[in-house]
Amino acid sequence: MKPKKIAYINLAKNEYEVKNLTELEPYIGGVGIGIKLYQMHQAEDPIIFSIGPLNGFFPFASKTCVTLENDGTVEDLYLGGSLSSRIKYAGLDAIVFLNTSSQNTLVEFENDAVRFFNENIVAASLGLPGKKSVLEAAEGSLVLDGYFEPRIGILYSKFVKKNLNGFVITGTKAYEIEDFAKYRELFKKILSMTDRMKVPESTNPSCFACPMGCDLSKYGEVGGNVLVHSLVACYLAEDIYNDIGIVFACLDVLGYKYTHEDLENFPELISKTLKDL
Amino acid sequence: MSKRLIVTNSKKCIGCELCVFQAQTEARKVGLEGSPIRILREMKDKLQYVVDIDPSINKLNIEKIKASCPKAVLDITESEKSYDET
Repeated sequence: MKPKKIAYINLAKNEYEVKNLTELEPYIGGVGIGIKLYQMHQAEDPIIFSIGPLNGFFPFASKTCVTLENDGTVEDLYLGGSLSSRIKYAGLDAIVFLNTSSQNTLVEFENDAVRFFNENIVAASLGLPGKKSVLEAAEGSLVLDGYFEPRIGILYSKFVKKNLNGFVITGTKAYEIEDFAKYRELFKKILSMTDRMKVPESTNPSCFACPMGCDLSKYGEVGGNVLVHSLVACYLAEDIYNDIGIVFACLDVLGYKYTHEDLENFPELISKTLKDL
Repeated sequence: MSKRLIVTNSKKCIGCELCVFQAQTEARKVGLEGSPIRILREMKDKLQYVVDIDPSINKLNIEKIKASCPKAVLDITESEKSYDET
């Protein structure tokens, strides 16, 4: 297994820190590390953006999990677009926003380096074209990459409460895979499984590495299958990524050493973590 | 005559970046860095994508890159001049 690389953003102090956490390894990614990080930092009212091992590598694995508290309940939301790939190519597994800023704040990531902006600045002017993702508050909602939005408004409300105007992330890291031929074969096999998607193809802006352009991606997801959302795949591809054989093959070719038992017991681990909150 | 990858239907681009994946395949890497094809976002009345192609892409297997686009945004043309003679 591999340690998870986490960027902590302390909004109260305009400070950041990047840590490699081995204790997150059993939590795979996405909702798994989101809930665990929430448990670890509950007192600092965290907003956690977490990705999974398949983001940036495989088709239909294009979601970013967002874990946060709302009215005493821990919620997991999912955003589409290109954000998950940019976090991956920045070399991060999660971004954790802690505490509250005293003034309006925009945060820029270039890989694991962070800059804070407290003056008025246009988010779209930051980052490298073609390699960035932009999430910003606009007209009563959060908008990602000029199109995608959370399904419900609690994330926007939390951004407003924390004086967080948004963030821009640029990822310039490229990955080499030991058995590249096997990886590409698996990539193409999964890409050909459009008949197993729960939605027909259309012509809308699409999420990263998804050829569907579907009518449902714009507004993201709330809750759902924990294994699929630990990876972090789209719920519309649940039929593909709920298949342990496919998941195991994907993780294996990327060098993750999870066992079948790790995957099968994962929902129980999440239930236990939630009960401990 | 040399073959060149060109953009013929940029309005159909859905921003999936599968063309970037395919272009990077020949370098046996995954990521955006060094890709000879990039997808840029442009806000007009609505979100539109701009496909930005570096001429060096024509050294790669452009048939496969063309085929990787699910919306037939790309095509291949033959020109008398190769890109590095222009």
